[in-house]
Amino acid sequence: MFRGIGKLIFISGLLGAALALSAQTRFKDTEWPTHGADLAGSRYRPLDQINASNFNKLEIAWHFRTENIGNRPEFKLEGTPLMIGGVLYATAGSRRAAVALDAATGELLWVHGEHEGARGAAAPRQLSGRGLAYWTDGKEERILYVTPGYRLICLDAKTGGLVKNFGKEGVVDLKLEIDQNIALVDGEIGLQSAPVVAKDTIIIGAAFREGMTAKSMRNNKGYVRGFDVRTGKRLWIFHTIPMKGEPGYDTWEKGSAEYTGNNGVWTQITVDEQLGLVYLPVESPTGDYYGGHRPGNNLYGESLVCVDLKTGQRKWFYQLVHHPLWDMDISSAPLLADINVDGRAIKAVAQPTKQGILYVFDRATGQPVWPIEERPVEKGDVPGEWYAPTQPFPTKPPAYSRNGVTPDILIDFTPALHDQAMTIAAKYKLGPVFTPPTASKANGLLATLTLGTAGGGSNWWGASYDPELHMVFASASNASLTPIGLIHSPKEVSDMDYILGTDGQEVRIARGPGENAGADAAPLPRATAPAPTNPLNVQGLPLVKPPYGTLSAINLDKGEIAWQVPHGETPDVVRNHSLLKGMNLPRTGQPGGVVTAVTKTLVLAGDPQVTTTADHPRGAMLRAYDKLTGKEVGAVYMPAQQSGGIMTYMVNGKQYIVVAVSGGAYSGEYIAYSLPSAD
Amino acid sequence: MRTWLLALLIIVVSSLVYSQDAPSRSVWDGVYTEDQARNGQQLYNQHCMACHGGSLTGGEQAPPLAGGEFLANWNGLTVGDLFDRIRTTMPLNNPQSLNRETNAGILSYILSVNRFPAGQVELPSRGEVLKLIRLEAERPSAK
Repeated sequence: MFRGIGKLIFISGLLGAALALSAQTRFKDTEWPTHGADLAGSRYRPLDQINASNFNKLEIAWHFRTENIGNRPEFKLEGTPLMIGGVLYATAGSRRAAVALDAATGELLWVHGEHEGARGAAAPRQLSGRGLAYWTDGKEERILYVTPGYRLICLDAKTGGLVKNFGKEGVVDLKLEIDQNIALVDGEIGLQSAPVVAKDTIIIGAAFREGMTAKSMRNNKGYVRGFDVRTGKRLWIFHTIPMKGEPGYDTWEKGSAEYTGNNGVWTQITVDEQLGLVYLPVESPTGDYYGGHRPGNNLYGESLVCVDLKTGQRKWFYQLVHHPLWDMDISSAPLLADINVDGRAIKAVAQPTKQGILYVFDRATGQPVWPIEERPVEKGDVPGEWYAPTQPFPTKPPAYSRNGVTPDILIDFTPALHDQAMTIAAKYKLGPVFTPPTASKANGLLATLTLGTAGGGSNWWGASYDPELHMVFASASNASLTPIGLIHSPKEVSDMDYILGTDGQEVRIARGPGENAGADAAPLPRATAPAPTNPLNVQGLPLVKPPYGTLSAINLDKGEIAWQVPHGETPDVVRNHSLLKGMNLPRTGQPGGVVTAVTKTLVLAGDPQVTTTADHPRGAMLRAYDKLTGKEVGAVYMPAQQSGGIMTYMVNGKQYIVVAVSGGAYSGEYIAYSLPSAD
Repeated sequence: MRTWLLALLIIVVSSLVYSQDAPSRSVWDGVYTEDQARNGQQLYNQHCMACHGGSLTGGEQAPPLAGGEFLANWNGLTVGDLFDRIRTTMPLNNPQSLNRETNAGILSYILSVNRFPAGQVELPSRGEVLKLIRLEAERPSAK
């Protein structure tokens, strides 16, 4: 079946008393037992040893460098560790190994990596991934994670050894029993997110290569499955593209459900164990920006789908974007929130999105908490495209980040800079959210200029939720511009009629990491076009005005934004720009977003970019905000930007904050901060 | 006598080397040639474009290699740091499969897209020499 997988199991040390979990099955609120702190995705712990009065005193307690885990360093560490019983568990390194560390000292307890050979190299989602899951029945303790090659690994949490009675020798091959045929070595499917375990069921989604310029309208389908945590046996499957005879099949006209793929759930999944319901945020179908080969609304593309935890049967769904054309994957964990609206208690689910809209539903019924209106949207001009006549617009809360491009948001530090921005923008179609993609014309409009699409808004980092204040805290990018222009595709490039591109320029296909880079790969045709320019900036400054990135607090009882602040130091390229010398710029925030965490009093978030200022050497700041007001109450230095998760826990009476940093020349590292012992 | 002459020679040579390499070279001093960047574009298209995009704007998984975020990552470091990053980790699924000249060519193209000026001498392919070239996002003010 699958051969050539060597095993790298290195077991060191005894875990000692710290690991002894005895018969405990309920987690303490000093622990961080799932990717999102709890199955509700809150990223909240009611800890208060670290607070506004002492945040600036934080020191690095320990740090764990990941560069020798795997055969090369990794610079994209995105994981959020777990902490249970004094042991921290995380994924790390270019091979996506699982590691266990002493949560108080960072000492390595064990590491488990899988050598997947060609299967790993062909994986659509490589590197260290976003994390793992923990399960216990009070006796056994297990760690579960998905390899780049899409294999579910079950480890003994005490030793890091494979649990032999799970799947086949501790492994379930996720390319099997998936209701379609997928080649084991190079069949395109994978997953970078952490598995979820609820009531002894493991829930696994799927991810694919980036879909901007699909090579084909055909692809594998991203179904979601439940597995028995004791045996690895498949319990259920949910078809995110309905099969013939299933509800929703008719939203794929001309039989397009048969060949269209993707529609996976690549981000974190949320579960309400009490209601026995699972919340699935579904991505886009094949072809992020062209849907001419999949006419119809395309369920369950870009939908929030609720299924039964035991059976995987659909309970309700809401499609947030009809007939997806903007790469608005539902990209982060839904948040479970028990709120009070106009005196009515509602068990709600709130979904942050790339388009900066927070969609809020009754999580038992799927009814919108505030009305969502179907409003007419513009029809585009791309030949062969099918356009949804309306899109859903929530009446509350208001969007918390930019999701359209209009002249009033273009750079305006000086009138001259604004004029230059207008000249650049004149080559593009501008408009609000859901302005359709443009057929690119060299002597006309090159593309639709968008915000709140591929780069977010809130991308995979999502948001956190405070169950005391009923408040969502969302980090969002306000300046990740994506031009969406479509060109007719030569048949040798893609069998789709249109793909992303610019008229008059070489057709460029976005491939998976390293694809076409191997020794045996045929070289690409020589480029004939001039060197591409990077026109979406004005003399090196962002085309849009600040804030480039924000942190927002959204009150879910009222459906209102309670506060919003720029997040991140002003980027060097702006602060040091010769044309802005002498200007007193307020902090601009930074493009991009980060994972946040909430404590009893603080919202925690690190800068997404590095800067060098008079106050600190090259590095980034980890910031603490008063969760009631958004006022920054402290900041400590990190040697690199926050690239992954942030979480907090207590062990031996001491609170720790662990953050994943990496980027540029700085390879992945988990850093733990705590207060000095003397304090 | 001979020893004295040798010592003098060493001092003179060292000072020449120092004066050429150490003091103040940056990416603003024309550290690659136009031809090298043009060839570098072909190499980039072959080995890097798939993930980092035709305009070096990056993708969901790959960081941008031009613009503010890229410059924030490398501002204040050296071209050698960037060269070593590329040399040791790229392409992602076949690292260290490209030779030094190829990496230098790709790097020269990246510098050109970031609007650092071309010069008369090719970008070297030795990491330790490249460490003498500072990567500065902002053009230094005229002296």
